[in-house]
Amino acid sequence: MSAIVDLVLGVVTSIGGFVEVGSISTSAQAGSEFGFQLLWAVAAATIMLAMLVEMSGRLAAVGKQSVAGAVRERFGIHFQAVPLVAELVIDVLLLTAEIGGVAIALKLLTGIAFQWWLIPIGLVVWLVLWFSGFAIVEYGIGMLGLVTLAFVVAAWKLGPDTSDLAKGLVPTMADHDITRYAFLAVSIMGATVSPYLVNFYSSGTIEEKMKEQELWVNRTTAYLGTAFGSIVAMGVLVTSAMVLEPRNILVDSYEQAALMFVPTFGRWAIGLFALCLGIGCLGAALEITLNAGYVLAQVFGWEWGANKPRRDAARFTTAFTFILLMALAIGLIGFDPLKLTMICVALTVVAMPFIVLPFLVLMNDKRYVKEHTSGPIGNGFLAALTIFAGFLALIVVPLEIIGGS
Amino acid sequence: MATHVELIRDVLDKEVVDRHGREMGRVDSIVIAVRPNRAPQVTAIELGPAVLAYRVRPVLGRLMSAVEHALGIDEGRPLRIPFGDILGIHRHIKVDRAFGETVAATLEQRLRAWVGALPGSS
Repeated sequence: MSAIVDLVLGVVTSIGGFVEVGSISTSAQAGSEFGFQLLWAVAAATIMLAMLVEMSGRLAAVGKQSVAGAVRERFGIHFQAVPLVAELVIDVLLLTAEIGGVAIALKLLTGIAFQWWLIPIGLVVWLVLWFSGFAIVEYGIGMLGLVTLAFVVAAWKLGPDTSDLAKGLVPTMADHDITRYAFLAVSIMGATVSPYLVNFYSSGTIEEKMKEQELWVNRTTAYLGTAFGSIVAMGVLVTSAMVLEPRNILVDSYEQAALMFVPTFGRWAIGLFALCLGIGCLGAALEITLNAGYVLAQVFGWEWGANKPRRDAARFTTAFTFILLMALAIGLIGFDPLKLTMICVALTVVAMPFIVLPFLVLMNDKRYVKEHTSGPIGNGFLAALTIFAGFLALIVVPLEIIGGS
Repeated sequence: MATHVELIRDVLDKEVVDRHGREMGRVDSIVIAVRPNRAPQVTAIELGPAVLAYRVRPVLGRLMSAVEHALGIDEGRPLRIPFGDILGIHRHIKVDRAFGETVAATLEQRLRAWVGALPGSS
């Protein structure tokens, strides 16, 4: 019974962390500029993320190792130095962008400039992490994240043509602005396959003490939960395509993106969009902050755990506090949340091969996953994914320069 | 029954726990004594950010030592544990030490004094 409850909670709350600045901004831009044509990119990124999340959960449930800990142990510090630095840099910048997302949401609701909200939001994030256990962060914020289903409701009410939607799921080449199209396709991948999601999931699996016998819960949560989150991202893209594209409204700020709700929700549109953006980004900010603490503690072998008294894991607590302070410091220097989000997305794509490659080894090493090693199909997918991630990493910077704006 | 142990695969970078199962850190370095006319001998494991950073780049190791010195937590570090004090090599390396009594705990104890002073920390 407990496993069933865990499964339902896990699937339903997967939206928390999935729908955030990256997925909202890339999907909104893709819809407003290319209609339904980039739906396939959301679907492909979802499959990639679901595979990585499932494997990270399997590693944690069977080997009792988080991804960061297993990479240190299996590959050594020489290999890990690169993904570790990359993940921490991306975590700090993305955290700044997520806090910016919450601040923009509060600006939309109150009219007060977003810079004034940065420190109060940082304080809320820290207080939630200080006083809450893992379940509140994961399930509490995830439940609130259900408000983002408003994107799916909006898309549904706008009545898109199903055959057009189906066509969008098949990769096709754009008939205009090909580099911009390619840039947005790659950005959607980067926004979806965030390194923090993978390590956060494996750490959460350990926090919740998932057993080897419950691997079916992990598999189902990973695939159904990611698909559930992806439906919301697709809802953003479809709503944007049906509302913003015909009116030639480009998403160059979150305020512009909010207009996509107007035809469906009328005078509630801006408030509801702000709520979706704010809660989605707050959930992601909590997860990223916690994950930064997890990564540092696991790599260096410190005591860690969101369910432990903060005093008993002082280095872990200090680590996530420090990362949060760094993100706030960058925020206070001044930044454009949307531009910073797109930079984070590009950096994630550059780092993607280092995130994917270790799985190819770890998931075939019986010391970590016993008899639950990947089969030929899983290995084939993973090998293809590694090559694909390497290709994306090579093209993302030129694409950012040519098609980024 | 003797078990075959590979130093790099089974020891280096593995998590170290004390005799009570408490996390102490990871094996950041392995010490091998090389003496004239004698076979090299594995003598100890080391724990500490400076030796870890030194493995990545010597300049980073020196930088980390300077940071430890500046923070006043460099005394006795890195922690060196003789190989003979290893109780077991399994998923973790278990050593015959109590974490709180070693220099590996210096930073944790220093931070604990600050973190513990805040409401809700325990």
